[in-house]
Amino acid sequence: MKAWKIIVLATALGLVGCGPHGAGQKLVAFSQANNAEPYRAAQKSLMEKLFAQTPDVKLVSSDAQQDNSKQIAQIETFIRQKPAVLIVAPNERDALTAVMGKAMEAGIPVICLERDIVQPNYATYIRMDNRAIGRMAGQFMVDQLTKKNGGPRGNVVFLRGLLGVEAEINRDGGAREILSRYPDIHIVADPVANWIQAEAHDRMTEVLRVQPKIDVVYGHNDPMAIGAYLAAKELGRDKEMIFTGVDGLGGPSGGIKKVMDGVLAATFVYPLGVKEAVEVSQKIMRDPSYKPPKVVTLDSIMVTSDNAADLYKKLTVAGE
Amino acid sequence: MSAWGLTIQRASRSRLFQVPSLLALVALMILAALVSPTASDGSRIFFEIGNLTDILRQVSVIGIISLGMTLVILTGGIDLSVGSVLALSTALVASVLTRPLLPGAPALHMMLAIGVAVLACGLVGALNGLVVARLQVQPFIVTLASMIGVRGLAKWFTANENVDIGFGKDVAAQFADIFRDKTVVIGSYIAAAIVFWVLLSKTVFGRHVRAIGDNPTASIYAGLPILKTQLWVYSLTGLLAGFAGVLYAAENHQGNPNAGVAYELDAIAAVVIGGTRLSGGQGTIIGTIIGTLIMGVLTNILRLNNIDSNVEMMIKAMIIVLAVAVQRKGRQ
Repeated sequence: MKAWKIIVLATALGLVGCGPHGAGQKLVAFSQANNAEPYRAAQKSLMEKLFAQTPDVKLVSSDAQQDNSKQIAQIETFIRQKPAVLIVAPNERDALTAVMGKAMEAGIPVICLERDIVQPNYATYIRMDNRAIGRMAGQFMVDQLTKKNGGPRGNVVFLRGLLGVEAEINRDGGAREILSRYPDIHIVADPVANWIQAEAHDRMTEVLRVQPKIDVVYGHNDPMAIGAYLAAKELGRDKEMIFTGVDGLGGPSGGIKKVMDGVLAATFVYPLGVKEAVEVSQKIMRDPSYKPPKVVTLDSIMVTSDNAADLYKKLTVAGE
Repeated sequence: MSAWGLTIQRASRSRLFQVPSLLALVALMILAALVSPTASDGSRIFFEIGNLTDILRQVSVIGIISLGMTLVILTGGIDLSVGSVLALSTALVASVLTRPLLPGAPALHMMLAIGVAVLACGLVGALNGLVVARLQVQPFIVTLASMIGVRGLAKWFTANENVDIGFGKDVAAQFADIFRDKTVVIGSYIAAAIVFWVLLSKTVFGRHVRAIGDNPTASIYAGLPILKTQLWVYSLTGLLAGFAGVLYAAENHQGNPNAGVAYELDAIAAVVIGGTRLSGGQGTIIGTIIGTLIMGVLTNILRLNNIDSNVEMMIKAMIIVLAVAVQRKGRQ
């Protein structure tokens, strides 16, 4: 009576199940915070591609789907598998700090990717400098306004990401730091669109109804800049202003393509950090005397119509 | 495979395997042993004490919520608000802990924080129970409303920001260190499970809970204290969700108004997999614990084998349907 249930269950598991990793293979575990974000999906594809070049390394990855508890549990399970290296892109800093410490205690070198944690429970932290990106964006806006209006003057709109998040604080703060030096540049509106294109579309529509003259729109990520562009286009005002974003992902849906298409005037590459993470991992696995650097800070690249086509080829992950 | 199936079938006829969900759990454990990856010394990772206790710790929060959910479902009701209530609890406990209310008395401060969080959640539960029992509104609607409203309350209270507990030496960090300890978390789950098992199977209150769900009309004629029982059932469920929130806050080092989304569904799944009838009247705490463990063990073997978390969801869906279908057949 009940045996069929067991058999179905066993078959189901047998179908998807796979054995332990092969003898002599080195295991690298990657715990991703939320693969639904394009930036993070690109991290995963690139990591798979790079580790595939060394057949003696097996990469396993998990997706916490933006859930702290889930990511903690997934890392706990990885610890049991004793990987040679554990790469973690933490969902939130407080929640993941303790479990990453547990992995280090278990003798597993941890590489912390992109988001910081509270205590330095990692062998290497690969960080991107959002403040520098904000400043670069600010300088780009100043240059564009000077070119257009004959001097550093004009009206700017910011579209802000989720408030309180490090990336938002610094992409915003860095740009304001530069713009505040020019009294004739006015930030006429700075609505919050939570990183989301559809929200940016709505907020920008409201801004356009109120503001008769806008020169530059700065979205704190590319999707918001694109949402703003679509709103302006609907109201026939897209030629009046230029749009800039941040992220600069490769691939047909990424920001670099949007620069090539003339939708964005510029975007700023927020590096994936994967190439560096893989390099550090390989060195840890192959050179016992290697001391990984505690922090690796990555620089951004400004993408304009001049270099977009080149960067598109370079930064698009195969198979995307 | 088939010989193995037959062995299980024979075993299922013995008294030990009268509970179908227990059979499923045992089968799952055998399966886990078969497919478990091995450590470098050839031992099965699944059976490492560390891994088995990982499973228990990971199911504890949902496990504690499911205990209350069992009572509610036994009365023929449902409680959709538990996830939001958990979020409210994390926000309250972290907020009280991070304010300098009782300098120099950390133990008292912790008790105050936990007390405030758990009692507030008990009150939410009591409110659910009151509306269900007094105004005779369907539990689904009442708790759907409080699921939305309490989520709003938690977000409003924290301005939709996380309340960081931090890693210092203050009372908040001490709290997190104590309450995210594996032994404390698992111990809390076991203690709560024992209390609710006794409550349901050894007391008059427990008999009333079942009777109301089994035959509401007869319960009215028999003069059972329906209002009081329902009020208690929903209050206890709120208290448990609040307590689960305390553990959640410690584990994640933060109060999080967005925590626990869809936890009510995980809890309901654990209850029905454990053999409790969704229409009420029939079911046990032991069954729910087994249902919780089935989900936990399943998740663990899939993750040990690095199976895609999206496939994990599809397999869980199959398990839920199968478990309930088999139990229906068993009853007929």
